Amino acid sequence: MTRMRKSIAFRLIAAVLAVELTSSLLVAVLSLAYERHIHFRAFDTMLRGRTDSVLGAVQDAEDAEDNVMLDQADLHLPSEDIYEVYDERGRLLGRSPQWPAAADGQSMTALTPAQLTSTPNDSISHAKLLGRHYRLLLRHGSRIVDPDEPGGHKLRKVTVLYGAPTERVWSDIRSAVAFYAAGSILLLAITGPLIAWLLHRGLEPLRQLAALAARVSVNNWQFSPPESARTTAELAPLTEALESVLNRLEEAFVQQRTFVSDAAHELKTAVAVTKSSLQLLTLRKRTAPEYQAGLERCVTDVERLEELVGKMLALARVESGHRNGVSAPSICDIAACLRSAEAELGTIAALRHVDVHIAGQSPSSLLVPLSAEDCSLLVSNLLLNALQHSPPESAVQLRLSLVLVSDGLSVLLTVEDQGEGIEAAALPHVFDRFYRGDASRARSTGGAGLGLAIAKAIVERAGGSIELASVVGKGTKVTVLLPQAQAARSQTPSA
Amino acid sequence: MRVLIVEDELRLADNLAAALRDGPGFAVDCAADGLAGDEMAGYRCYDLIVLDLMLPKLNGLGLLRRLRARRDPTPVLILTAKEGKAAIIELLNAGADDYLAKPFDLGELMARAKALIRRGKGAAHPTLTALGLEVNTLEQTVQRSGVAVDLSPTEYRILEYLIHHPRRIFSKRELLEHLYDYNWEHHSNVIEAHVSNLRRKLEAAQPGAEPVIETMRGRGYRLAPEPHE
Repeated sequence: MTRMRKSIAFRLIAAVLAVELTSSLLVAVLSLAYERHIHFRAFDTMLRGRTDSVLGAVQDAEDAEDNVMLDQADLHLPSEDIYEVYDERGRLLGRSPQWPAAADGQSMTALTPAQLTSTPNDSISHAKLLGRHYRLLLRHGSRIVDPDEPGGHKLRKVTVLYGAPTERVWSDIRSAVAFYAAGSILLLAITGPLIAWLLHRGLEPLRQLAALAARVSVNNWQFSPPESARTTAELAPLTEALESVLNRLEEAFVQQRTFVSDAAHELKTAVAVTKSSLQLLTLRKRTAPEYQAGLERCVTDVERLEELVGKMLALARVESGHRNGVSAPSICDIAACLRSAEAELGTIAALRHVDVHIAGQSPSSLLVPLSAEDCSLLVSNLLLNALQHSPPESAVQLRLSLVLVSDGLSVLLTVEDQGEGIEAAALPHVFDRFYRGDASRARSTGGAGLGLAIAKAIVERAGGSIELASVVGKGTKVTVLLPQAQAARSQTPSA
Repeated sequence: MRVLIVEDELRLADNLAAALRDGPGFAVDCAADGLAGDEMAGYRCYDLIVLDLMLPKLNGLGLLRRLRARRDPTPVLILTAKEGKAAIIELLNAGADDYLAKPFDLGELMARAKALIRRGKGAAHPTLTALGLEVNTLEQTVQRSGVAVDLSPTEYRILEYLIHHPRRIFSKRELLEHLYDYNWEHHSNVIEAHVSNLRRKLEAAQPGAEPVIETMRGRGYRLAPEPHE
């Protein structure tokens, strides 16, 4: 099922052809007007000439009244032309032999002879006579009668109405316009495929770009846009956008793949430990106390595996919530969380001879936009991390306060230990998943390298920030900044 | 035989060491990071190195390269949790002899360890024979001319070590190095006592026959040459 796709090339060709068609129509109209003007001007000139011939044929009638007459003997005019000649009194002097209408007394025009003589010179009119279209020219002339006779020299005015059929002119005009129209259509027919070909060539960089972009896959992120696409003004933004999107995608993908591979590594190692512990027990027959001890070790191994899986799931939960933009509108009291974490981890701290205390005047209640679960996960992860890096007889200091930052009040939590510190080279990686400052040490303390990654994910989800500063040999300080949450409506806001 | 395990997951290293001591009766040392492993491998007293890949300080591949760069022929068995053939090819090309993917079977690991040691010493079959002796390295039993000889674990290990190279002379120091890990006190007279017991037991199995183990004064021990040579 292929949906009809809109083609830019098709639309461009259609647009160009439409414009061409319109302009050729315009050319036809203009040429019609122009040809008509030219042809009729020539026609009129010709009419004038012929009229003058007719005028020349007006002779002195040699009669008493010194009238004039039309002598048609020497007139050689086209047989289809018609004419009438009147004298100044409106008397018909003669007419062309093709105009026999005189019998009915019909004139070539509807005008009376008197009106004819008063019509301005050189006026043009049209008439349909004898079933044909005629163009008529009216012209006044004069004739001097008896110029040589003394006392003669009389001026006789004559009016000639001359008409010639216009079909030929029109046919000339038509053929001229037809020539222009045919030429335009021929041009259209030639330019259509030409434009299509040029467009096809012009869109080549786009096709190359598409072909190269199509080659990108999960296994092959290599995308080198063709030079033609890079240097084309219209394609350059698209190319750059594609490149940057692919780079970001690849980065995210590689990160994801690294996480999956690291997670697999951790899980396999944990499973390998458990499996080897069990197989070791079955290598040979053992005494009941040996089995007892072996099983206890196996339980410890499984507990570590359980903890690892739990942490990975916690991270996945926090991060997927972050990605989906689902921010639970929950609110909890971080001060209470801190106190309960301190109590909870007190036994571990006592075992390691580490002093954990909340420093300063901690507010009794501070609300942050975190669920109770995430909040205690955050606090206990930070505290556990500090404990794991604390030598015996050292102290871990927790501090909670409300600080004013640029955009309002924020909750500031610091966890400071007096451990061995983290080398500067390792600092940028401490929040990476599965990163361990010193793998063997962290393993011996049971850390999977996820605690800080989880803490970071939780803090960022709540719109806060987390930073870690460390001096080798002195200790490490984790600083968490969280936005202060507004109390729920049911509670009356204090202060 | 003495094995070095380089593994940062301490529980796993403990289990491997226990299995190799319990099963084939190897002496086992553990190193928790790449640099420590490199230093210990430098003593050249190991018959096999079991090497994890993801190690702190110096990773497994780096250690392997260093090892091979100084022409250390010790067989190396890699433990890896990484996927992918490319990584395995790279490892083998870098000089690894074998690999096992985590989580592995302890029995398979021991079998591969034994095979690698055997191959490293030029033997193809797990049962070694010389001078009418038959040493079954799988069951760890010894027969002389068809008669079973009951040996203590240390006596067996000495005999197994000697029989891999019948005509070579092994110093007491070398035997000590290859049969005991760092958990033991090093006293060369321990070896003397065990060799003496071993001689006695082999003699008892075939009374009147030529002695199997010769003492080269001031140099060490070796298996006696075959009678027809």
